[in-house]
Amino acid sequence: MPDGSLLVQMLIGALLGLSVYLPLAAGQLSLATPGFMTVGGYVAALLSTRVAALGGAEPLYPLPWLLLELVLAAVIALALALVVGLPVLRLRGIYLAIATIALNEILRVLLLNSSWTGGAVGIFAIPQPFGDPLGYLAALLLLLLLAGAACQVLAGHPLGRAMAAVRDDELAASCSGVDSFRVKLLAFGASAVLAALTGVLAAHFFNTWNARQGSFDASITTLAFVVFGGSRLWLGPVLGGLVLTALPELLRPVGDLRLVVFGAVILLGPLLFPQGVVTPALLQRLPLPAGWRRRLLP
Amino acid sequence: MPAVPPILPSVLRGGAVAAVVLALTAACSPAARRVSTPPLLGAAVALTGNASAIGQDQRIGLDLAAALLGPAGPGRPLPLTLAIEDAGTDEQSASQAFRTLIGRDVLAIIGPSLSQQAFAADPVADRAGVPVVGPSNTARGIPEIGPFVLRVSAPVSQVAPLSIARALRNDPALQRVAVFYAQDDAYSTSETAIFQKALTDRRLKPVSVQRHQFSDTDFQTQVTAVLPLNPQLVVISAGPVDGGNLVRQLRTLGYRGQIVAGNAMNSPNIFPICQRQCDGLLIAQAYSPALAGEANRRFVAAYRQKRGSDTPPQFTAQAYTAVQVVADALRRLDARRPVRGRPLAEVRRELNAEILAGRYDTPLGPIRFTPEGEVIQERFGVARVRMDADGRQGRFELLD
Repeated sequence: MPDGSLLVQMLIGALLGLSVYLPLAAGQLSLATPGFMTVGGYVAALLSTRVAALGGAEPLYPLPWLLLELVLAAVIALALALVVGLPVLRLRGIYLAIATIALNEILRVLLLNSSWTGGAVGIFAIPQPFGDPLGYLAALLLLLLLAGAACQVLAGHPLGRAMAAVRDDELAASCSGVDSFRVKLLAFGASAVLAALTGVLAAHFFNTWNARQGSFDASITTLAFVVFGGSRLWLGPVLGGLVLTALPELLRPVGDLRLVVFGAVILLGPLLFPQGVVTPALLQRLPLPAGWRRRLLP
Repeated sequence: MPAVPPILPSVLRGGAVAAVVLALTAACSPAARRVSTPPLLGAAVALTGNASAIGQDQRIGLDLAAALLGPAGPGRPLPLTLAIEDAGTDEQSASQAFRTLIGRDVLAIIGPSLSQQAFAADPVADRAGVPVVGPSNTARGIPEIGPFVLRVSAPVSQVAPLSIARALRNDPALQRVAVFYAQDDAYSTSETAIFQKALTDRRLKPVSVQRHQFSDTDFQTQVTAVLPLNPQLVVISAGPVDGGNLVRQLRTLGYRGQIVAGNAMNSPNIFPICQRQCDGLLIAQAYSPALAGEANRRFVAAYRQKRGSDTPPQFTAQAYTAVQVVADALRRLDARRPVRGRPLAEVRRELNAEILAGRYDTPLGPIRFTPEGEVIQERFGVARVRMDADGRQGRFELLD
């Protein structure tokens, strides 16, 4: 049985999976999710440890200031996404992926070598807004529900259909009057905001934050959530994030072989389910109420 | 069907699911937990990832301690058990391993392997009121994390300057020093600051300071930048894997001078990485297998029986010492007032105070703690690595 703190990490994984999924739904491969998460985490870490007026010394960090951090992190991440996205998204193909790797690296090296971000050690002893993992669980569950609901609305919304059109064939979508640049930018911005919000909560939960959170490894891990879970439906990355975060911990009884088994699962996933585990075909087969199926399928 | 599906019902349903999950988790959370029989100690060290070169040595020490100090015996009626968890090489794995152990009602935790992990995981235990004994966390600021955090590993500020002094004794005329360190690692950045200060104190300004990442394996850029400056001494603060590869590449590309390596490379597990090129490395030691004293004799004998060698690595000795410190303190506590069946939180608090107050005769020599939890240790040394001609076997040769 996963304990409360593992459930929290699973939810963080699910949210990061969704953050990678959003640009992919518009056909854009962005690896910047850990970078934006790092930015969000630093906003939380810096504000709560360096600004005494925010009540970092109190036993429990006041919730209004947590909200302030969330808003500020979202604004900063969105601004950063626009600065990067405006030039890069005019290009086609894999350029966004390359630019986002560069963005992660620039952020990481800057944060690693600045004294105000704590250097290599980063920032530790970040105040806790909740007394136990349940508080984080509730906050992250709320965020996941909101993000999931937004993705669900998007599936039937003209913007969502435009994203799908750009993903399937950008040229054809443009010819049909879809402003593909705007659609891609919106998806990229939403991904950045979601990652930054997750970063704020993660920084408080992990109570330590440093530049290693935004490493290239982290980019690949979050991408694996989507590859494993499936990129066609928003439930896919959520499932991928939950499962792949939980597995290494649930496999602890296996002992020394646990990471071998974990690696095998990651390998077998795409082999057995090339489109990811959650696909429209799977939902057709599952015995779901007709209403659910109709709503979940695009 | 409307263009936009109604989301309110889904959100309500989601909320209901959330409430059930929360209620279930709340139901599983502990009421007043009590000390188990036999009392359980926890250890979380790196068994996977780059830091496993350190963790493997530590595991041997932990296993020896569990076998030697765990069972009840003459003069120690209380049996103890030790649970070992993999803390990985990253911060989150370490924090999760700590939480797992705390959830299993351990009385104290020995770990994690890296200072970098300690800054993340130790506050978890500190907030839960569980004593943590760092077996190999040498960065500045570890005992200051909280009242429940201690360490048996002497800080870099005490140990690191010794190897620099030794290198200067070998070659008093040396002038040109190059410094390498892993810039994304807490221990390495902490240690290189001490190394560089020790150099400056002796009026040696580094001709070059090169940075790399803890997970790097290729150092061509750094090495080729340094070699034209003709350094006579190279000083490295890095993990065992990156440091071992750096030494190998320095030698392969033609560096012939002395190399001083930091504490994380103080393990025979670097031998398979830099092989013959490890030869001549100078590393300061917080442990000497030759140390007189009953505790060390017993430890070395047990090590020889298990591993067939007379020279246990420093990390093995420190991990063993960490268990011994906790076990000794717990047994003293138990002798005054039996701990079994008493509330867990109370015993953890008393154990923390007892560890801090005690004096211990350990394989590291006699040690005790400052009120903050910093170890006070008397003896240190410097060793030179000697590799056999085939580059497979090697040993740490203590210098006087």
